[in-house]
Amino acid sequence: MASDAVWWKVAWRNLLRNRARTLITASGLAFGYLAAVVLVGLMDGMMAELIENGTRLMMGQVQVHSPEYRPERNMHHTVGGYDGVDLEALLARIESDPDVTAAAPRLYGGGLLSSGEETRAGLLFGIDVDREQRVGTLLSQLSEGRLPEAGQYEILVGLEMARQLGLEVGAEVVVVVGASDGSMGNDLFTLVGVFETGTPAIDANYAVLPLPDLQYLMAMDPGRVHEIALTVTRARDTPLIASSLAANLEGSDYAVEVTPWTELRPELAEMLGLMDAVNYFIAAIIFAMAIFGVANTMLIGTFERRREFAVVRALGTSPMGVGRTVVYEGVILGTISLIAGALITWPIVVWWHNSPPDLTSLIGGFSMVGSQWRPILRIEYSYDTPVICAVALFLTAVFAAVYPAWKATRVPPADALADR
Amino acid sequence: MDRVSRSRLLRVSLTTAAALLLSAAAAAPLTAQTAREIIDKVDRMMRGESSHGRMTVDITTEHWSRSLDMEVWSLGAEHSLVRVESPAREAGTATLFAGDEVWNYLPRVDRTIKVPPALMMGSWMGSHLTNDDIVKESRIVDDYDFEISFEGEVDGVEVYEFTMTPRPEAPVVWGRVEEQVRKHDLMPTWVRYYDDEGTLVRTMTFSDYKMMSGRLVPAVFHIIPADKPEEKTSMTYHELEFDIDLDESFFSLRTLRARR
Repeated sequence: MASDAVWWKVAWRNLLRNRARTLITASGLAFGYLAAVVLVGLMDGMMAELIENGTRLMMGQVQVHSPEYRPERNMHHTVGGYDGVDLEALLARIESDPDVTAAAPRLYGGGLLSSGEETRAGLLFGIDVDREQRVGTLLSQLSEGRLPEAGQYEILVGLEMARQLGLEVGAEVVVVVGASDGSMGNDLFTLVGVFETGTPAIDANYAVLPLPDLQYLMAMDPGRVHEIALTVTRARDTPLIASSLAANLEGSDYAVEVTPWTELRPELAEMLGLMDAVNYFIAAIIFAMAIFGVANTMLIGTFERRREFAVVRALGTSPMGVGRTVVYEGVILGTISLIAGALITWPIVVWWHNSPPDLTSLIGGFSMVGSQWRPILRIEYSYDTPVICAVALFLTAVFAAVYPAWKATRVPPADALADR
Repeated sequence: MDRVSRSRLLRVSLTTAAALLLSAAAAAPLTAQTAREIIDKVDRMMRGESSHGRMTVDITTEHWSRSLDMEVWSLGAEHSLVRVESPAREAGTATLFAGDEVWNYLPRVDRTIKVPPALMMGSWMGSHLTNDDIVKESRIVDDYDFEISFEGEVDGVEVYEFTMTPRPEAPVVWGRVEEQVRKHDLMPTWVRYYDDEGTLVRTMTFSDYKMMSGRLVPAVFHIIPADKPEEKTSMTYHELEFDIDLDESFFSLRTLRARR
C-alpha cells in the first residue's frame, strides 16, 4: 500500500512542522508515564513494606503446622503429633522447594516470667537462633545485649517486658511454663538481650529462648515443634507457592497444613488487594487527563490544516484517508513519548529504588492493620506496571487522535477552500 | 468509694433481712432451715476451723494423665497451703492461697512467685480447677443468693437441692450453681456449675463418705468438665484432721518456701 506510506510520511512531517508543540505534547505524555510508573511503584513499595513488616518480623510468609494446631493453638498439637518429626529431614525437604528461601522451626509456650517481686504472664517463643535470623527480623532488633545460646539457659525479652519486670541485661529471670505432661516446667534463665520491635504486643509479651531449652522446659522431645515458618522468593505469589509446597509435602507419614500469609493475615491481604485497585485507578486518572491535553493540541493542529485537508479532499482523497493521517500522527506521537518516557523514567526509578528518601526525621512511622510502616518512600520494581503504563500511554495518544481525526474527515472541501 | 459504701450498705441490709428471716424460721414449729444456713453448715463441716491432711490428686486429660500426692493445710476459708510430696520431679512445689492472692513456690529455682491477675483463670497444677476457683470457693456464701429448689427423695435418699445465683455486684464466674445435699447427714453429693447462658460447665461429685478424725466427710471428689467428659480431676483424702493448732502466721511465704 504505497498510499499508506505517504500518509505516514504526511503524519511525520506534520509533527515536525510545529516542533515546539510536538515536544510539549510528547513531554506531557512522557511525564504522565513517569508519574504513573513512579506512583504505582511507590504504592507497590508501601505494599511490599507492609507485607514485609507484617510477615518478616515473626510470621514468615508461609507457615507449616499440624492440621489441628490452628486456630486453638493447643500446645499438644505439634507437627507430626505426640511423636514429633525428624526435624532436620522435614526442614531439608521444605527447603528443597526452589521457591522457599529459608525455613525456621518454632515452639510456643504460655507461661510466667518473674524477677524479684514482679511477675508477668508471657508468651515463650522457642527458636533455632541461626535459622530464625533467615526468616524473621525479630532477632535483628536487639536494642541491647546479644543473642541467646542453646543449653546455656539464656533468654531475650521485649523492651516493655524488661521494663515491667525491672530487668537488665545479665539479670536472672525465673521462667515458668505449662509443660506437655501437665506439670509446671520452671528454671532460672539469664537475660542476655532485649529486643525492641515497635509493636507493643510483641515488646510487652514475648520472651525468646533457644528451641531445645524450651522443649526441655515443656517436657517435649527435640522433634516436637508447633510451627515451621518460611520465607519465599516472591511474597505476592505466596498463595501459589504455599499450595505447591503443600502438594510436595503430601505423602509424609503425618499430615501438615501449609498456610500462606494471605490466610494468616487476611485483613492485610484484603487491604493490599484494595491498594492494587487504587493503583490502576490512579493510572487511569493520569492518562485520562493526558487524553484531553493531547486531543486538544491535535484538534488545534487539524483546524490549522483545514485548507490542506480541503485540498487533498478536492483532489479526490477519501475522508478515511484524511482521518488516517491524523491517527498516524497520534501513533507516532505516542511512540516518541513512550521512548522519551522510558528514558526519563528508568534512571529515576533505579535511583529511587536504590536510595529511597527517608522521611523518618519529618514524620513518624505508623501502623496499618497491625503492620508497621516506616516513612521511607521506597519504590518497588515491577514487571507489569511499566508495561501496563506503556500500553495505556500508547492508547492514550491514539484515542486522543480519534476525535480530531473524525473532525478532519468532516471538513467540507468547498466551504473550507472558500474560507466559509 | 461510693460503690464500696453502697455494696457494704447492701450487705448490711441483706444481713438484717437474713436475721429477720432466721428469727421467723426459728419461730416456726417446723424444722425449716434456711438454705444459707444449711450450706454454711455443710461448708463448715467439710472444712473445720482448721485442717491438715494428705491427698492424692489424679488428673486425666486428653493429652496426659498424672497423679500427685499432696499435703494440705487450711485455716478458715481464706487460707490454705498445699505442698506436693511426689512424684520426685515436682516434690516440694507448693501453693499458698491467702485471701485473693495465690503464690507458688518452685523448689527447682527456689523462688516464690505470685500468680499475676492475668493467670488467675489458669489451671492450678494442671488440674481442672483454676486458681480463681479455689480463691472464690471461700466466698460462695457472700457472693451468692441461695434457695432450696427441691426437697424430697432421689434414688431412695432424702435430699435438698439448692440453686445459688450470684448477687448483682459479686465478682463471680458462674451464672448459676446447683448443689445436692443429703438430708440425713448433710453430706453433699454433687455440685453443678453453669455459665451465664445456663450451660453446664462442670460437675463436682462427692463419694466415699467416711469418718476422718471424728467427722464424716466425703473422701473422694471428682471434677468433670462438661465439654470434655473424658477428662477428670479426682482428689482422694487419705488423712484428714480437724481443728488443729494453726494460726495465720503459718500461711506465710516463709512457710511456703520452707524446704522439707
